[in-house]
Amino acid sequence: MDLAVDLQGITKRFGAFTANSGIDLAVRRGEIHAIIGENGAGKTTLMNILFGLLQPDEGRIALNGKAMVIDSPAVAIAEGLGMVHQHFKLVPSLTVADNIFLGMEIRRNGLIDRAAQIERTRVLSQKFGLRVDPSERVAGLSVGIEQRIEILKVLARDARTIILDEPTAVLTPQESRDLFATLRSFVDDGMTVIFISHHLEEVMEVSDTVTVLRDGKVVATRPKTSLSKRELVRLMVGRDVSFDRRPRGPVDGKAALEIADLWARDDRRLPMLKSASLTVRSGEILGIAGVAGNGQTELAEVLSGLRPPSHGSVRLHGQEVLGLAPAQIRARGLAHVPGDRMVRGVDRNASLSANMLMGRQDKAPFSHRGILSWATAHAEMRALIKRFDIRARGPKDPARSLSGGNIQKVVLAREFTAGGDVLLIDQPTRGVDIGAQEAIHDEIMRQRDQGRAILLISTQLDELAALADRILVMFDGRIMGEVDGEAMDEEAIGLMMAGVDPATPVDPSTGIDPIGAAAAPAFPRPPASEEVR
Amino acid sequence: MKTLPLPSGLLRTLAGQALAFVIALALGAVIILMIDESPVAVFMTLMRGAFGDAEKIAGTLLQTTPILICGIAACIGLRGGMFNVGIEGQLFLGGFAAAWVGFAFSLPPVLHVLVAMLLAVVAGAAWVAIPAFFRVRFGTNEVVSTILANYIATLLTSYFTIFLFKRPGGWSETPPILESAYLPELFSFSRLNIGLLIGIALAIATALFFRWTAKGYAVTMVGSAPKFAEYGGINVRKVGFGVLLVSGAVGGLAGGVETLGVHHRFMEGFAPGFGFDGVIAALLANGSPIGTIFTALFFGALRAGSLLLEVDTTASREIITVIQALIILAVSADLLMRRRGDRTGERRWKF
Amino acid sequence: MEVLGSLFNVALLVATIRTTTPILLVALGGSFTTKAGIFNIGLEGQMLIAAFFAVIGSIYTGSSVGGLVIGVAAALVFALVYAVLVVSFRANEVVVGLALNILAGGMTISLMKAIFGTRGSIVGRGIVGLPKVQVPGARDLLGFNAAQLISGYTPLVYVAFLAVPAMLLIYGRTRLGLYIRVVGEKPEAAEALGISIARVRYTASLLCGLMAGLAGAHMSLGYITMFTENMSAGRGFMAVAILIFSAGDPLKVLAGCLLFGFADALSLRLQTFGFPSYLVLAVPYAVALVALFALSWRARPKTIRETLETMRRALSVSPERESSSTRS
Repeated sequence: MDLAVDLQGITKRFGAFTANSGIDLAVRRGEIHAIIGENGAGKTTLMNILFGLLQPDEGRIALNGKAMVIDSPAVAIAEGLGMVHQHFKLVPSLTVADNIFLGMEIRRNGLIDRAAQIERTRVLSQKFGLRVDPSERVAGLSVGIEQRIEILKVLARDARTIILDEPTAVLTPQESRDLFATLRSFVDDGMTVIFISHHLEEVMEVSDTVTVLRDGKVVATRPKTSLSKRELVRLMVGRDVSFDRRPRGPVDGKAALEIADLWARDDRRLPMLKSASLTVRSGEILGIAGVAGNGQTELAEVLSGLRPPSHGSVRLHGQEVLGLAPAQIRARGLAHVPGDRMVRGVDRNASLSANMLMGRQDKAPFSHRGILSWATAHAEMRALIKRFDIRARGPKDPARSLSGGNIQKVVLAREFTAGGDVLLIDQPTRGVDIGAQEAIHDEIMRQRDQGRAILLISTQLDELAALADRILVMFDGRIMGEVDGEAMDEEAIGLMMAGVDPATPVDPSTGIDPIGAAAAPAFPRPPASEEVR
Repeated sequence: MKTLPLPSGLLRTLAGQALAFVIALALGAVIILMIDESPVAVFMTLMRGAFGDAEKIAGTLLQTTPILICGIAACIGLRGGMFNVGIEGQLFLGGFAAAWVGFAFSLPPVLHVLVAMLLAVVAGAAWVAIPAFFRVRFGTNEVVSTILANYIATLLTSYFTIFLFKRPGGWSETPPILESAYLPELFSFSRLNIGLLIGIALAIATALFFRWTAKGYAVTMVGSAPKFAEYGGINVRKVGFGVLLVSGAVGGLAGGVETLGVHHRFMEGFAPGFGFDGVIAALLANGSPIGTIFTALFFGALRAGSLLLEVDTTASREIITVIQALIILAVSADLLMRRRGDRTGERRWKF
Repeated sequence: MEVLGSLFNVALLVATIRTTTPILLVALGGSFTTKAGIFNIGLEGQMLIAAFFAVIGSIYTGSSVGGLVIGVAAALVFALVYAVLVVSFRANEVVVGLALNILAGGMTISLMKAIFGTRGSIVGRGIVGLPKVQVPGARDLLGFNAAQLISGYTPLVYVAFLAVPAMLLIYGRTRLGLYIRVVGEKPEAAEALGISIARVRYTASLLCGLMAGLAGAHMSLGYITMFTENMSAGRGFMAVAILIFSAGDPLKVLAGCLLFGFADALSLRLQTFGFPSYLVLAVPYAVALVALFALSWRARPKTIRETLETMRRALSVSPERESSSTRS
C-alpha cells in the first residue's frame, strides 16, 4: 500500500495526562483522511507530533515509506508535509506575498525581491484556483481569504500532504463548501489531505477514510462509505448520545430583556453590531446562532456593559440599562457567563472561593461593612462544588488546577447563584467534555424552568436545537432571521449564517444608520429611486 | 501575588529565592574580588556596620524606615497591577512639602506634625496623579512616565531649596523645621524615630487590607486578572487610578517621615535611592507587605553596613547597590520555576 | 529679538545635532528590541556602562577606537545578560531592565573608586576623545556657517544619522529585519515557520546593545572626554519614551530624538542666559513626559472623530434621506 503517512504506536504524555496512547494511523496517498474526535481526544497533539512541533514519547513515524525522526517543522516541510493551523499564523502588517514567502524569502543581492515574490504568488494562486491579491496587506482581510493564504503558504513549500486543523471552525457553510471543493481538486492532483474536525456533517461530506479518536486512542479507522452518522457519534463519544430536544412547557412569561436597534463597534472600531433587536421572556431560552465572529461577542459585551454601545436601547424588566457600568447592570438582574472563560470568567491563579466571590465581595453574607468573611466564602464554595458536581479538592484550590469543563462549571455556579433573573450565556459548552455538557444543559434547563430569561449564544447548532425555544441567526452583526426551536430548519439556519437573506427582508426603514455601517450593506438593496441632493 | 498560595508552591518559591540569593552573593563576591577587596572582609565589615552594637542596629533601622515605607508604596501599586517606579520623586516632593510646613508655619506640636505629614501625603499623591490619569485613561506606560517624573521632581525640589527657600548662609538646604514638627525619637542615642513604627503598622494594615476587605479583594483582582475584574463589575480604571494615588501618597509619607524624623530640614539629594530601594524590596518580597518588612530590613542593613565599609575599606558603598541588583536579577530568573506552555503569552508583573 | 537671535542660530542647530546623537543611537538600538517585541527599559544602564568602559578602554589602550570597542563590548555583555534573563529565562523585562540599570550605576561608581580612588568623575588621565571628521571641501562649498552643520562632528554623529536610512532598509528589505518585525508582531507565525523566536530576539537584543554602546561611548568620548557618575542622566529612559510613541519606526524615532536633542541644546543654552539651572535642566525630561502624554492622547483622534461623526449623522440624517447617505 502506498502510504503518505504511517504512524505506529505513538504515545505522548504531559505529566500524568496521556494525550496520545499507542496511536496507529495510516494515510494512503491521494485520499482525504478525516481524523475526528471530541475536543480533548488528542487530535491536535497527534498532528503536532506529525508536524514536528512535539516529540512523541514512544512510537515510529514514516513519511512516504521512509522511517524518520521529525524533530522540527523544517524536517516535516522538507518531506512534503504542510500544516494549516486552526488559528491562522499570518502577520497582519505584511502583504499576502510576504506572508506566503516568510521563512523562504526570494532574495537578490541579499535583499528581499518583492516583485519576484508577488509574481510567484500570482502563479501559485492561478494554478490552484485560490484567488488572492498578492500585494495586499493581510490586515483587514476576511477569514476565508486568510485561510486561502494559509493554504497557499503550504503549497508554496511544495507540500504533497496537507494537514488542516479544524479548518471550518471560522467559515460559513458556503465557504466550507468552497474549501471542500478545493481539497477535492488537490486529491485529484494526487495530493493527500488530512482533515481534522469534530463536525460530523463535514466529515461525512468530504472524507474518503475516517479515523476516530477517543481519549487519546484510535477507536476505528474505516472507509466513510461503511459508516453512518449515528455510528460515528457512538464511536466518538463511546455511547449513544444525541442532543435530543429537551422536553419543556410553554413559554408564558413577561418580557424580561428587550433590545431595540442596538449598534456597537468591535475592537478595530468597525461596526460589528448592527441594529440588533430582540426580546427574551421569563422562562424562555432564546438562542443566538451564527459563525463565530459575527457580532455575538459584541452583543454579549454590550449587554453586560463591557463594551460601549453606539446607539440603541436595552431594557431589563422595562428599565433602560444601556450605557450603565457592569456592576450596575448586574445589580439590575443580569448574570453573564462569558464566552472567553479563561480571560473573563476566572482568575486562573486565584482560589475557587476568590473566583466565586467576584461580584459579591461587598455583599452580605460574604462581607460586612467592607470586611470579607472568607469562612462564609469557603463554605458557599464547598456547597457549590457539591451542587454543581465540580471536580475539585476544595474551595482553596486554584482555578488553574481544574479542567476546562470544571472551570466552566465554577463560572456557571457563580453566575446562576448570583441572583440575576436574566442569564446571558455565551458558549456554555465550548471545550467541555460530553459528560459535563449534559450536566450543563440540565442546569440551563432547570434555570429556564425556574422562570429565568435566558439568552443563549452558541456556535453549535445541536446545542441550540436541544435547548432553545426560539433561535435567532446572526451574520455580519445583523440578526438575519428567526427560527422556531421546535421545528428547526437547519438548511434555513445555514443559509442565514452565510448571510443569505431569508424570504422576508428586514424592513430597511427601521431606524437610522447612526454609525454609517450601511455603507457596506450585507444584502443588496434596490437602487435608490431618486437622488436627494 | 497569589491570594492563597499552596504550601508546596510556597516551599518551592522559597527554595528558588534562596538559591537565587546564593548565586547573587557569589556573583557579588566575584565583583568584590574584581575591585581588589576580600569578600569575607567586606561581608564582615557590612555585618559590623549593620549590627555591631545597639547604635549600629538603630542605624540599620533608621535606614530601613524609608525603604520600608517606600516598599509598601510599591507593594500597593504592584498588587493593583501598577508599577510605580516614581516613588523616588514622590519621596522628594513629600519630603520638601513636610519641610516647608515645618519651617514656614508655627503650630502646636502634634498638629504641626500631622499637618506636615498630610501635606507630604498630598504632595506625593499629586505628583503621581498626572501619570496615573494618563495610565488609566490612555494606557500611557506608567513605568516610563513615573521614571521621567523622578528626574523632574529631584530638580524641582532642588530649585525650591536653592532658589526659593535657601537657609541664609546655608548650603543648598532649607531652614530647619521647628521642634514642634519633629517626630518623637525612640532612643536617646539615635535619630531612630516613630517612623519605623509607622512603617511596620502600615505594612500590617496593608496586608490586612488586601486579605480581609472587599476593596482589597477588588484591587488584587484588578492586578492579577483585570479583564475578569472588569467583567465582575469592578471599575478597573477607578481602582487603577486609586491604587497609583495611594501608592504615591505613601511615597510622599516616606519623604515626610524622613524630613520630620531624621534630617529636620530638606536638602538637595536628601534621601537618594530610598525610593528605588523600596521598589526593589517590594519586588523581592513579591508584592507582599509583610515580606517587605524583611527585605527592607535587609536592604537597610546593607546601607548601614556600607557606611562603615567606606570608612574601613577602600570599597565604595555603591558596592551594595551592585549586590542588590544582582539579587534582583538572580531572583527574577526564577530558577526553580519550570516555564512551559504560554511561550508567547502575556506576562504579568510576576517576578 | 536680540536675545532670540543669539539664542536661535546655527550654533544651536549644531548643538542640537550633537545632543541628538547619543539619544538617537540608543533609541535606534531600542528600535530593534521594540520591533522584536521586547520592552527594553535597560537602555539607560547599557549606555552608562559603555560610557564608563569607553573611558577605561581609551586610557588603557591610548586610543579612542580602543575605548569605543571596549565600551561597546561592555554594553554587549549587559545586552547579553538581559537577553538571557528575558528571552531564555522569561523573567519580567521591566524588572530585569531596572535591575541592570541599578547594577550599571553601582558598578561604575564602585569600579571608579577601586581603579581611580575617586568619586564623582574621571577627567584627563589620558582619556583620548573621538576625532572630529572634517568633510573635505565643505567649507569651500557652503561657507563657514553652513559647513558647521555637516562637518566637524565625531564619526558617531554620522553613524547615528546614517543609521536611520540603514534601518529603514533593514526593516523593509532584509530577512533579519523582516524576522524581527514578525517575531514582535506575531511570534506564533515565526514559530510555525521554523524561525527561532529566541534567536531573533537575542540578535535584536545584541544589536540594541551595540547601538547603546556607541551612544555611551559618544557620551564619554565625544564632545566632552570624561566620565561622571550617572552621566546618562535619564537619556535611556527618554529613548524608551520615544520608542513607546514611535513603536520603533526609524523615522519617527529620528523625529522624537531631534525634539529631545533640541530641548537638550536649548536647555544648555538657556543656562548661559541666567535661567535657574535646575528648572532648565528639567526641560528635556518635561518635554519627554509631555510628548509621551500628548501622543498617547493623540492616539485616540479616531475615537473622537468617530464620535463627532456619529453625532453629526444622528442629527442630520433622517430615515427618508438614508438611501442617499449610504451611497455617498
